[in-house]
Amino acid sequence: MMPPLLRKILLVDLFEGLRVTFRSQNPKNIYTEQYPAERPQVAERFRGAPRLLKDENGKTLCNACGACALACPEQLIVVGSVRNPETKKKELTTYTFDLSRCMFCGMCQDACPSDAIKLTQDFELATYSRNELIWDRQMLEDGPKPKQYKC
Amino acid sequence: MADEQKPAAPKPAPPKPPAVIPWESDLTGALKEQFGEGILEACSYLGQNFLVVKPEAVISIVEYLKWEAGFDYLVDITAVDWPKRAERFDLVYILYSFARNERIRIKTRIAVDDRPASVVRVHRTANWLEREVFDMFGIEFEGHPDLRRILMPEDWQGHPLLKDYTVRQQDQRWVQENLNIETGQ
Amino acid sequence: MPEATFLDSTELVLNMGPQHPSTHGVLRVILKLDGEKVLGTDCVVGYLHRGIEKIAENRTWAQFNPYVDRLDYVAAVSNGLAYCLAVEKLINCEVPVRAQAVRVILTELNRIGSHLLWLGTHALDIGAITPVFYCFREREESLKILEKYCGARLTTHAFRIGGLQFETYEGFERDVLAFCDMFLPKVDEYEELLTNNRIWVGRLQNVGVLTAEQCKDYGVTGPVLRAAGVKWDIRKALPYSGYEQYDFEIPTRTNGDTYDRYLVRMQEMRQSVRIIRQAVEGLPAGPILGRVAKVLKPPAGEAYVSIEAPKGELGFYVVSDGSAQPYRVRVRPPSFINLQALNQMVHGALIADVVAVIGTLDIVLGEVDR
Repeated sequence: MMPPLLRKILLVDLFEGLRVTFRSQNPKNIYTEQYPAERPQVAERFRGAPRLLKDENGKTLCNACGACALACPEQLIVVGSVRNPETKKKELTTYTFDLSRCMFCGMCQDACPSDAIKLTQDFELATYSRNELIWDRQMLEDGPKPKQYKC
Repeated sequence: MADEQKPAAPKPAPPKPPAVIPWESDLTGALKEQFGEGILEACSYLGQNFLVVKPEAVISIVEYLKWEAGFDYLVDITAVDWPKRAERFDLVYILYSFARNERIRIKTRIAVDDRPASVVRVHRTANWLEREVFDMFGIEFEGHPDLRRILMPEDWQGHPLLKDYTVRQQDQRWVQENLNIETGQ
Repeated sequence: MPEATFLDSTELVLNMGPQHPSTHGVLRVILKLDGEKVLGTDCVVGYLHRGIEKIAENRTWAQFNPYVDRLDYVAAVSNGLAYCLAVEKLINCEVPVRAQAVRVILTELNRIGSHLLWLGTHALDIGAITPVFYCFREREESLKILEKYCGARLTTHAFRIGGLQFETYEGFERDVLAFCDMFLPKVDEYEELLTNNRIWVGRLQNVGVLTAEQCKDYGVTGPVLRAAGVKWDIRKALPYSGYEQYDFEIPTRTNGDTYDRYLVRMQEMRQSVRIIRQAVEGLPAGPILGRVAKVLKPPAGEAYVSIEAPKGELGFYVVSDGSAQPYRVRVRPPSFINLQALNQMVHGALIADVVAVIGTLDIVLGEVDR
């Protein structure tokens, strides 16, 4: 072990730090993701854009019970329904989701008894105006699509 | 509490809700001896002990607890608004003793224009905590060195955590002041 | 300034405004200076006040859970744990042991993440730009585990009243243990970069000293209190969520200056890894959600429950009047109360020390302002 004065003069502590930094210059330690060329792989349970799911026949799974609207802390879901006179059950007509106020907490997903609303892995939700963030049933079922601009 | 599906037997009685039980210990004995009618009740709810005291006695009790009983750490000061009661606010002090590893709550009931004594000279942490209670509830503390708003802007009117303070009223006032219209609703 | 509106000719009032890279958020500090020496400070907070306590009065008990993450947004899982524990105390609910163990794992993982962010930003304030990248790289790994578990990295909403919503995912234990194995050598790497570095020592030693008596007087808790010599940790003193079964130490130091707080937090990260390993090894099987009514109506009463958050003692004082909505939720914010001690700590120091002290107090403005 070097005497402390020699360690001080020869800047040993600074070189120890530099050794750590130079070790990270190895290309296999480079950690940066080149977004948007490579998009991050988000987890399966990621709470992103909401979608209304349909079953194999294309019929919506939502039975218009309104549990999601009751569960939402921000009360931004509006469920519209009519009662079918034959089956005496409620059927979904309109469904409005105000994505601008949504905090992606997932309580609507937890509350849904038929697993109809799910928060998917989509996180690229930017729009040019606030009105485009109020999603209706069509948008929720089809999902957000990137806008194509012709150059 | 969910009830079980028993096919034939009657439903079991739901468990009784927890009750406020009186709290007796050497600490309460010493306090009652010292302060007599200053202490109105000494109770325990869900295992957490609290005292209900008269507002005038608070600072002497806090001092006694710090110097004699070792409660040297003031955890929190807060208030609860019960608008239908004559004594509207419940002022709550939570104290903790490192030596005894014990936490105690001191509650007092104060009316709207009461000025409780500030405990800043006993625990310096009360400075900002009392400022926040003043800011949110409008309770002024006697003897506080620097009582002004802390979370809201200095020129704000109204005390937000009162039960009759609503967002609608706040919005209407803003709209009247800044946009010169009657209401934005 | 509250005391002095009358300045000597050599004194200067300087505003370290809400937009400042070193104030860790929107914190405004008004400094009264004599040259570069600080004579007094006045903190103006409230720029991030969102009225969370008022919001609580208009939501149901379960609906308030996502809002609680936004308090200390760096370690959101701890806030969720404190709130869930407080409400569970009020409804007298028994949380299953598996849920308790998973809660401990996620909370300690979050504590590591919070300390990593603290280290990165604190080093950045002092002038060391390198640790920030390394710390965020490791924090990224812990956030990946949180994301796989509950779906979000920052505002996790990981716990529910009564236990957990989600079962742990396939490979949870493997991921957590891999993180622990990867992480311990990295702590040594940070220590190699900083602990003996003369610039670091020179900037941090004897700066912002807060003795144990002053800490107790100001109500300061957390690593600041432990660096001053008081061996106190709520996880040991008033254990919650199964912490009594885990074996870990409480790191303390004696001087109470900024350098000691740095060492205490580094040791805390190592102890957290120890707790996580024990919890994963002993992870019990069983249900994850206790018996909780669908519409939660706690009996009228109140409770105060606090946990050892990465920043200090985070407590929730909940008052119920028997209805489905909380009557009053009070957050006892560690950052707010720790920030009060700023004036005491920088008396007579230089402006650069003010920056170091704000960094070492580890404040998060979401918690200060609520």
